[in-house]
Amino acid sequence: MPTEPPTPPGSTSPEDGVPNAEAHHAWRAFAYLLSGPLLYGGIGWLLDSWLGTQFLLPVGIVGGMALSLYLIWFRYGTD
Amino acid sequence: MSIVALAAESEFEAPGTSTFWQPLIGDGAFAITRASVVILLSVALISWLLLAGTKKMSVVPSRKQAATEVTYDIVRNSVARDIIGSRDFLKFLPMLFSMFVLILVNNLFGIIPPIQYPTMSRLGFPLVLALIVFVVFHVVGFKKHGFIGYWKSLVPSGLPAWIVPLIFFLELVTDLFTRPVTLALRLFGNMFAGHILLVLFITGGEYMLVNGGFGLKIAGAVSFVMAFVMTLFELLVEFLQAYIIVLLSALYIAGALADEH
Repeated sequence: MPTEPPTPPGSTSPEDGVPNAEAHHAWRAFAYLLSGPLLYGGIGWLLDSWLGTQFLLPVGIVGGMALSLYLIWFRYGTD
Repeated sequence: MSIVALAAESEFEAPGTSTFWQPLIGDGAFAITRASVVILLSVALISWLLLAGTKKMSVVPSRKQAATEVTYDIVRNSVARDIIGSRDFLKFLPMLFSMFVLILVNNLFGIIPPIQYPTMSRLGFPLVLALIVFVVFHVVGFKKHGFIGYWKSLVPSGLPAWIVPLIFFLELVTDLFTRPVTLALRLFGNMFAGHILLVLFITGGEYMLVNGGFGLKIAGAVSFVMAFVMTLFELLVEFLQAYIIVLLSALYIAGALADEH
């Protein structure tokens, strides 16, 4: 059993889960908010140019944003 | 001289992307540019500083040793240990510390005369650093969870079944694209914008002082004051960006090591 050096107050030891969980959540939430509209807006844009329509890009952006918000709520809001 | 007349005979060239392309030897993709020379210089300088700072180590540190220790301490304790956790952080410390000093010195070169060129304002440099972090945190994740398990661990459990594929691709894009790309672009954008601002205030100020009438000469002087203020501001940004890169790299590694993301 390895001995652990004492952890400073304010940070949790690795055994308690992820140290500095708040920082993880904040940066990951930020990345989700970018990824959602980017991915589903991108898919919408591709479908638009394939099908010759115009409404799928905005639908993708808004839908992706909604999905990102849902994921953030599901991960970090329901503990 | 009115502003209109000045504009008409103006030859002032506003700084742009061409300001940053400075090949010294050769041209094209394999040219040796100012940025390549600056980063080699930084490596030599860092090696010398660290060797000098750790040569005669004593309990009561010399000034050089104390400065080295303070820098090392920031990365070791405030970033690596606090974020990755005391069990695993030592493995990643060499990478994080090297990245921190490399980026810090190269950023500071942006305002140190006569170098005055932030290497990271060329996108290739931060991109390579982000790529290294990208490979490291995914490999760490594969080792910890196994290849299949790592991808499975991306999606939180308890989601409705129909939404799982949508969320999976969202997580995939976040980890494979958004995180490394924002890591590189954040550093690049900050250095690029800061440098262009300084160049604008200084060359614009000089142009107004030399070519302008009385009013414009005052504006030129004000422009130099702004250049000085922005240089101080740049100092802050340069330190902050070096810090935030290692902070985020440590966060990504810790995330890959965690039981779930």
